[in-house]
Amino acid sequence: MKAWKILGVALVGYSLFAGLTADVPRLVILNETIRNLYFHVPMWFTMIALLGGSLAYSLRFLRSGGNGEPVNLDRDRQARAFAEVAMMFSLLGLFTGMVWAKSTWGTYWTADPKLNGTAVTLLIYAAYFILRSSVDDAEKRARLAAVYNVFAFVLMIVFIGILPRMTDSLHPGNGGNPAFGSYDLDNGMRLVFYPAVIGWILMGWWIASLRVRLDRLTAQQTPA
Amino acid sequence: MALSSAQPYLCAVIRLRAIQQILQWEWALEYRRSNGWFLPLLFAAMVGYLCSLLVREPSPTVWLALLWMTMVFSALQTALRSFAATPGQWLYLNQLVAPTELLVGKTITTALNCLLVTWTGLALFSLWLGWPHLPEEMGQVPLWPFVVSLSLGAVAISSTLSFTAALASKIERGTGIMAILSLPLLLPTLLIAMRASKLALLGTPIAELYPNWAGEILMAGLPLALGGLLFPYLWRS
Repeated sequence: MKAWKILGVALVGYSLFAGLTADVPRLVILNETIRNLYFHVPMWFTMIALLGGSLAYSLRFLRSGGNGEPVNLDRDRQARAFAEVAMMFSLLGLFTGMVWAKSTWGTYWTADPKLNGTAVTLLIYAAYFILRSSVDDAEKRARLAAVYNVFAFVLMIVFIGILPRMTDSLHPGNGGNPAFGSYDLDNGMRLVFYPAVIGWILMGWWIASLRVRLDRLTAQQTPA
Repeated sequence: MALSSAQPYLCAVIRLRAIQQILQWEWALEYRRSNGWFLPLLFAAMVGYLCSLLVREPSPTVWLALLWMTMVFSALQTALRSFAATPGQWLYLNQLVAPTELLVGKTITTALNCLLVTWTGLALFSLWLGWPHLPEEMGQVPLWPFVVSLSLGAVAISSTLSFTAALASKIERGTGIMAILSLPLLLPTLLIAMRASKLALLGTPIAELYPNWAGEILMAGLPLALGGLLFPYLWRS
């Protein structure tokens, strides 16, 4: 067991405990739901980190091979596993957000830029998995999926990173809403929020690497 | 491929001569020897007529949404055609031009086809559905900013679609998967284009349109640049 895994467990454990028990500021409408910052927002950080990992593996796959060497299909396996686990985190982020939105905005879903971004991310990576399943040859599948992954990731970043800043959002910290902005995030909350983010990213990375190991073992059991 | 130094270049690796060859190829195959170019046009006309039967005197928002829906799906048809060639034709084309040149050339032809479809669609929409009724106090709204917004949007859409069409062409029975691959990627482009055209339709001052036009141009250039970098990996077989 490596140290970073222990750190991940410790940080997530701390954030669960402190997130539910520590003092938080009382704000109108948000009230105690402000604690969702510790559970909902780290899901998105983890999703982006894992998708970044998936992107890196896709790029490394595309750079492998050439000069008579075979392409490295293990990189493709890693890219897929990281994308899969990232989608799990995006669903968790979506559900924790929907529950919160029902109690603060009064609805599970609304046409908020950030919600659109989530929907697009889910659709893009759903298409990525569909693409994978519709090509039989392993090497060709890996190549097409890697190309799509890189292309889609950049457009997704434009969508979720740049466009929301051009319009207002209902989210706390945007458009005059209180809570999560660089100016008004409570210092006490930072002490729980940042460890939660790091802890969940480490946990996500761990889950994805377990998925990779499982895939490798399955590939050994069933020779292509 | 050896590149001679006497050739004019678009940028470091794209030869103008290769682009010209692709355009000539497309002209000969799509416009002179077949009626392939007519298919997306007919598609747009059919969907447009269907819209006119389904909705009577729509509001400006609904009118614009229907126009964009018609355009997006016609553009999908156009892009699908642009990478549909027989293995023999690909063998010939691949010897003439480098992969990145192929993507740029095909994007240009797709964009031109999409513009044709867009303008035809717009004309047919105004014929069958009429021009949307704007509030009286707005007076006369100039037409050209709307056409510019629409055209830039069409070019931006075709730049994403060319790449996904190339990807889909590498998959057996890939035509079905094309829409699934493209539509989520088109959302950022569509949102910008939709806003630009809506503002233009409602007579917003030009100065407020510029950022949206810049956004549309960005969404045309970014997928093309990204696609150009990735295309050699995609096209390797």
